[in-house]
Amino acid sequence: MRYWRKRQEPFDLEAELRSGRPEPSSEFVHRLETRVRSHGRTRATGLRVAFVGALTAVMLMSLASVGGVGYASSAGKDAVVSVKRVVTPERVRVVKVLKKSAAIDQYKKKTKAKVKKVKKVKKAKKGQGARGRVRARTRPPFTG
Amino acid sequence: MLRRDPLAHPEPLIRRVYAYVAYRVGDGPDAEDLTSETFERALRYKKSYDPSRGEPIAWLLGIAKRCVDGQGPKLELASEHAEVPDTSDIEGETVRRLTVAGAVGALDDRDRELIALRYGADLSARQIAELLGARTNTVEVALHRALGRLRDAFGEERDASTPVRKREASR
Repeated sequence: MRYWRKRQEPFDLEAELRSGRPEPSSEFVHRLETRVRSHGRTRATGLRVAFVGALTAVMLMSLASVGGVGYASSAGKDAVVSVKRVVTPERVRVVKVLKKSAAIDQYKKKTKAKVKKVKKVKKAKKGQGARGRVRARTRPPFTG
Repeated sequence: MLRRDPLAHPEPLIRRVYAYVAYRVGDGPDAEDLTSETFERALRYKKSYDPSRGEPIAWLLGIAKRCVDGQGPKLELASEHAEVPDTSDIEGETVRRLTVAGAVGALDDRDRELIALRYGADLSARQIAELLGARTNTVEVALHRALGRLRDAFGEERDASTPVRKREASR
């Protein structure tokens, strides 16, 4: 009886088509959704990295154009120096005290002229030595 | 500027594409395969999506349409193998659903596609016209005729299942 009443109701085909439209299984929807989202995520990560890289490059270029890079590097160097000064222990400086005397002239730095003279003398001595050796070779060898 | 991702919210899109495909080839694993293939192609050619040419669903349905058309005669319609529902163990709702699916399956390809786009994918007549490259008015008329034919087919389907119901009712 109840079924008969249902049959008598006006039949709406369009509503029937909408309500009775095929539905995918929730497992299938979940699987496909995960697949689509994971693909989008990898693409988004790549884009994000590219964006960060581009932004860094732009910032560096703008800094370089106004001399900011040199300023930053010198500031860095100064910082390193000051840190070194703080961290490393101070060296003990030995101060040499020279007595002023007449003999101090002997230990003065040699002038160029003096250096040349010394060299010439050395050469002459070497020459004599060579000659002596030649002379020694003319004698018969010492056999004991 | 960055483009809008057409697959940013995939769940409703999956449901609509599946409904369209299922109205065309029948509910089941074939429809799932074709829906998956549609989304695989969409992911591969995501760059080809142009927001100025329509909503992401229209773009996806264009891909789904090509997938279904490409399958061609390999697919077997569910309606061809649809059994007449036995009301003894199935609820009335399911019976009606099966009868509707059977009636849609009895339509020709063109009518089935229109019904699938209108009631499966829930597109408007204008969107269907854009997708098929036809006039909106033409689509509306074609839809009206398709519904008429479907109503006839549905009547036949109902008549076919009535004796079983009557038998059940008389018990």
